[in-house]
Amino acid sequence: MKHSTSAFSRRRFLQGSAAGAGILAAPAIISSKALASSGEVNFTGWAGYPALAEKVFPAFEAATGIKVNFKELPDQDTMFGEARVALEAGGIDVIEPTIDRVGAWHANGLLGAWDESKLAMDNYLPGLADGAAGERSRPDGVLKYVPSNWGTEALVVNTAEAKLSTPPSLGDLFNPENSVVVRPHSALAAMGRWLDATGKLPRPWMDGYTDMAAMTELWDIALAEAVKAKGNVVQWWSGENEANAGFIANGATVGLNWDSTGFNLRNEGFAYVAPVEGAFAWHQGFVLMKNAANVEQAHEFAKFVSTPEGAAGWASAFSSNPVAKGASDLMNPDVAAFYNATFNDEALSKLWWWPDQSAEFLARRAEYADKYRAA
Amino acid sequence: MQDLLRRYGPGLTLIMGLMVAFWLLMLVIIPNMTLFEQSFRPYLPVREVGGPNDTYSLDNYLKVFDGTIERSFLGFTFQIPVHVLTFWLTIWYSMVVTVICFFMAYPLAYYMAKIVNPRSLPTLILLLFIPLWVSEVLRAFAWWIILAFRGPLNWLLLNLGLIEDPIRWTNMGYTGVVIGLIYTYVLFMLFPIYNAIQSLDTNQIEAAEDLGAPWWKIHWRIVLPHSKPGIAAGSVMVFMLSAGSLLVPSILGSTTSQWFTQTINQWFNDALDWNTASAYAFLLLLLCTLFVSLAMWVFRVKLSDIAK
Repeated sequence: MKHSTSAFSRRRFLQGSAAGAGILAAPAIISSKALASSGEVNFTGWAGYPALAEKVFPAFEAATGIKVNFKELPDQDTMFGEARVALEAGGIDVIEPTIDRVGAWHANGLLGAWDESKLAMDNYLPGLADGAAGERSRPDGVLKYVPSNWGTEALVVNTAEAKLSTPPSLGDLFNPENSVVVRPHSALAAMGRWLDATGKLPRPWMDGYTDMAAMTELWDIALAEAVKAKGNVVQWWSGENEANAGFIANGATVGLNWDSTGFNLRNEGFAYVAPVEGAFAWHQGFVLMKNAANVEQAHEFAKFVSTPEGAAGWASAFSSNPVAKGASDLMNPDVAAFYNATFNDEALSKLWWWPDQSAEFLARRAEYADKYRAA
Repeated sequence: MQDLLRRYGPGLTLIMGLMVAFWLLMLVIIPNMTLFEQSFRPYLPVREVGGPNDTYSLDNYLKVFDGTIERSFLGFTFQIPVHVLTFWLTIWYSMVVTVICFFMAYPLAYYMAKIVNPRSLPTLILLLFIPLWVSEVLRAFAWWIILAFRGPLNWLLLNLGLIEDPIRWTNMGYTGVVIGLIYTYVLFMLFPIYNAIQSLDTNQIEAAEDLGAPWWKIHWRIVLPHSKPGIAAGSVMVFMLSAGSLLVPSILGSTTSQWFTQTINQWFNDALDWNTASAYAFLLLLLCTLFVSLAMWVFRVKLSDIAK
């Protein structure tokens, strides 16, 4: 009898403490919901750019009183995955994909519309939020995307050891005398553009981005040529760290990499070179989730990054280019000098913006990347 | 269940039962069932989900036969679907990893169970466990650094005068992946074998020695048959963990290696096609299970032997 009472009281204790823990946890659950509708914005963006949290968000909070809850993700495929989950679960207001993916995000019904009257569309540099880019930002005529910064993917070369043609070309990536670090899908596009520029393709490379039959025809050719030249690839990269390690630890001499890789390696004997065919260029910016909870704050946030101060901070964090008029005067002089060394007016006019890539295109592109990896 | 009820009473038993049910249902069964259901549906834009195009089919599973590439082996050339090839190579190199792990773990397990002084055994086990305390990511990266073109291994070999030019260890097919997987999973082979050998009566070994059996015959006729369940358990674990590993092949893979899990990951993350990715994941699970069952049948190991 006595035994059973003691067991009973132990159970009561356990039940009681479990309930107690639930009560203790409840305010945290409730208050995080309560906070969500006040002065904060849930922003999901790129990992590996610490200056955002160190400088830009505090400046934004000082200017507007809105706190940024920053979730860092390594690449935009992961962002897309998180966004699909957040469409059901909530918790994300603003995400930062690149413009070429906006079509796919829109097609998947993830995006809400920006209210242009709450933004300052005149702040943006010409060509970034108007013209062709403006049309791409407005699927079905509604503004779904505003730019945050832009940058390039071009040749990072070891100035002492790389064997470059004159002028440097994307073809140098496929020269067996160079050890290269590339990512599969970019390397195939580079091969395609190089073949296109040297007149070895039956039709323009750009056709592949709008017509799936043309895509198969062109990418088959690019794949076959790239496989022949694959022996000189010493490492794949998918993020900043791998790219960096490919040069430093694995001794690559040429790579097709982001500008941030070139910038980080500028004092290690590497230069960032625009190929004669034109550097790949990207453009990233903010999209609003369809089920965003903090819509007003999200508009304040996007607007802040279109001011000279915000745009310069954002571009400095990514070692890339600002989107706002007057921002370049506020940039870190190192970054400005780095860009000017690579891009003169001619190189700027040749920039090749990544075209829109549909979901179907991305699936086929992944298949080609697979074959290239496995070869 | 009766034991549990008698020992803890109905309240606590109910809580424990509910917690186990929650674990199984919410963390294992429902996520897997969701993926399983998704794997038969096409990848559609969100607005078309549930529409007329959203029908069940085996299309996602059949994608594994898409996209053939040309390979040559032993002088003759053939066409093979790229994902089938990846799958086969994953199984093959997982087997290589399993076999090498066995040859590394068996002598050590025997040494620990039968030869070493019992007083130094805890120290030995501790030494073996220390690497397990370090995260798998860090251990894979450590090997990446060791094997790098300008890494310590090449530096050492160059300075010893053993090689004249640095070697690209990380770019030799599956070498890096195999090294990484062995390092990560060898202990999963060691401990089951150690447990099995430990339960062998040392008198049997001594009797065999007294009767004049050579050392290899003692192992072949006495120790190996006795430790078969341990070897089987270790092999199943190492094989399944290797075939299912994503981290090690991603970090230590070369430009010519591709693990099937990386293909699944590409479907999820590059192609954004979760449906096909789910189908591939189930293919891997199903075929690996079949393969392991087949291997167990060939070696005449029963599931209940392993559970012991």
